[in-house]
Amino acid sequence: MERAANMNERDLSYADVNRDIVRSLVETGPKYYITLGCAVGLTVVCFLFPWFYQLQLGIAAAGMNHPQVWGTYEAGFIFWIGLSHSGTLLSCVLHITRSSWRKAMYRSAEAMTLFSLVVAVIMVMVHVGRPWFIHWAFPYPNQMELWPNFRSPLLFDVTAIATYLTGSSVFIYMGSIPDFAAVRDRTTGWRHHMYTLLSLGWRGTDTEWHRLGWAYTLLAVLIIPLAVSVHSIVSWDWASSIVPALHQTIFAPYFVVGAIYSGTAGIVTVMFLLRKYMGFERYITEVHFDNLGKLLLALSLIWTYINVLELFTGWYSGDSPEIEALKYKLFGYYAPLYWEMILFCAFAPLLLISKRFRVSFVPMLILSIAINIGMYTERFLIVGTSLSRKYLPDAWGVYVPSLVELSILVGTIALFSTLFLLFVKIFPSVSIYEVKETLAEAAAEVPERDTGAAGGDRWQPAR
Amino acid sequence: MATSAIGLFVDPHGALAAAAKLKGAGFAAPAVISPIPLEGAEAALGEKKSIIKRFTFFGAILGGASGFTLAAGTAVLYLHPTGGRPIIPFPPFLIITYEMTILFGILATVIGFLISSRLPAIRDRAYAPEAAVDRFAVAVTCDDDERVAQAAALLREAGAAEVRNVQEQRP
Repeated sequence: MERAANMNERDLSYADVNRDIVRSLVETGPKYYITLGCAVGLTVVCFLFPWFYQLQLGIAAAGMNHPQVWGTYEAGFIFWIGLSHSGTLLSCVLHITRSSWRKAMYRSAEAMTLFSLVVAVIMVMVHVGRPWFIHWAFPYPNQMELWPNFRSPLLFDVTAIATYLTGSSVFIYMGSIPDFAAVRDRTTGWRHHMYTLLSLGWRGTDTEWHRLGWAYTLLAVLIIPLAVSVHSIVSWDWASSIVPALHQTIFAPYFVVGAIYSGTAGIVTVMFLLRKYMGFERYITEVHFDNLGKLLLALSLIWTYINVLELFTGWYSGDSPEIEALKYKLFGYYAPLYWEMILFCAFAPLLLISKRFRVSFVPMLILSIAINIGMYTERFLIVGTSLSRKYLPDAWGVYVPSLVELSILVGTIALFSTLFLLFVKIFPSVSIYEVKETLAEAAAEVPERDTGAAGGDRWQPAR
Repeated sequence: MATSAIGLFVDPHGALAAAAKLKGAGFAAPAVISPIPLEGAEAALGEKKSIIKRFTFFGAILGGASGFTLAAGTAVLYLHPTGGRPIIPFPPFLIITYEMTILFGILATVIGFLISSRLPAIRDRAYAPEAAVDRFAVAVTCDDDERVAQAAALLREAGAAEVRNVQEQRP
């Protein structure tokens, strides 16, 4: 009811929705070009140049060395995979549970998934040092008669991420087909040709809607277990090793919760920026921030619980290398990072208890960025601290990322922004037909509240 | 040459009623073109069955089988015994099976969707661009002009705000 009233107040007509969203695609101001230029520039300077340098010099350009063979690249890989988790997963869960507040924001959340996956795959290519052999990870008949080792979690990763990348691209594309058709009718020139191709000749007949509804729901049902499996598998890269503090059964749910947590925070950041800079104030409202805030609060509590549990099981094992690794994490070289993570990811989100906080946009933006900084730190600590206290003291060591690694870390953020900025000009970043559905639901609900009459013959959109 | 009559309605109810009426008058497969999915479409035009779920089901089964065959088959082709562990271990290979099940399920769903909704469309079909904004259109395609005129009259009678005749173009 609250939502209905909210939509009604804004008094949007169907034509407004089409106009606003097509405008966001075709009208491009200097601000956009400046931002895109900065993002591309940063990508070249901070990502491509250092990577090229590393390819020339060899992996020694990165600070990774024995015993620290995993560094910021792997942390970045987990981070970006994690960030990818809320988009498509959340969109699927909210689609299945028929939450209509999803409708205005899911498209950009799914795009976030897609691009963070792309960046995550690139992180692996940077990490392995010789990306031109990346095809060796795939099973294909070859003259060496060698096949990949399917018992290795790294191969699980390849299959899971390839499937997830395929699934999310298909899901975002299929949900966009009706919108491409709507945009096709309102554009001219090369854009018209592009959207004609993308919309596949969609008309919006009753049969097409029926088929789309089925296919979309089936995809959502397939993608939910897939997304859960992806981050579980990523966690097994670490958990199936015998390194103290990594060899833990809690790792799979820990990673999945962490992933959804950082991804939801990522959605808040993206929603804020879209709302502010793409003129979607009427579509992305306090309701969305309120709901996302509640979700973040719940996730932060689960995440904190698992963190406490990780400490407890480590201590309770009574295993000396395990306890040493724990002590090192809490009070060792990387301790400031650990406590920063606890502050950003366990304590700061408690502010979300207050509704006033949840519906204030700027504080939510700051909190969401803080959470993601904390979550990146978490990933760094997972790969960093465990390896530096591995069993025998003669194998101990401290890892500090090199300038190349830090630059690539910044560069990946720029790369992600570049991809996202291109996306908002090609895909309608707010779903046209689903926003209309929300309007129709609101229109059907409001008189019901006013008159108390049951809307028996009143038209309802298909669910 | 096939010609279509398209009636544009402001109200989705009117469009659905008109489509039901056309169907009752013996016109084959009138299509309701709408900017959003309509709840009453099946009630007005008859229940729809979709074969997509079969595609998904068999795709998933095929995927599971090929995933396991891939992992187990390559392990047998290139024997690599490690510490007396089995050549075909089930727990890790089930993960590959699981992922391939989902991958093939997804791809089969897409193929099923494209086939059952007849997309991508190769030829132009009856369409009104307004129906992607805020109008609800009912389109009927007939081969002879008399039937088209009849359909147009029926649409007008049902309260269409505008009725158009559109020539379909075949390549």
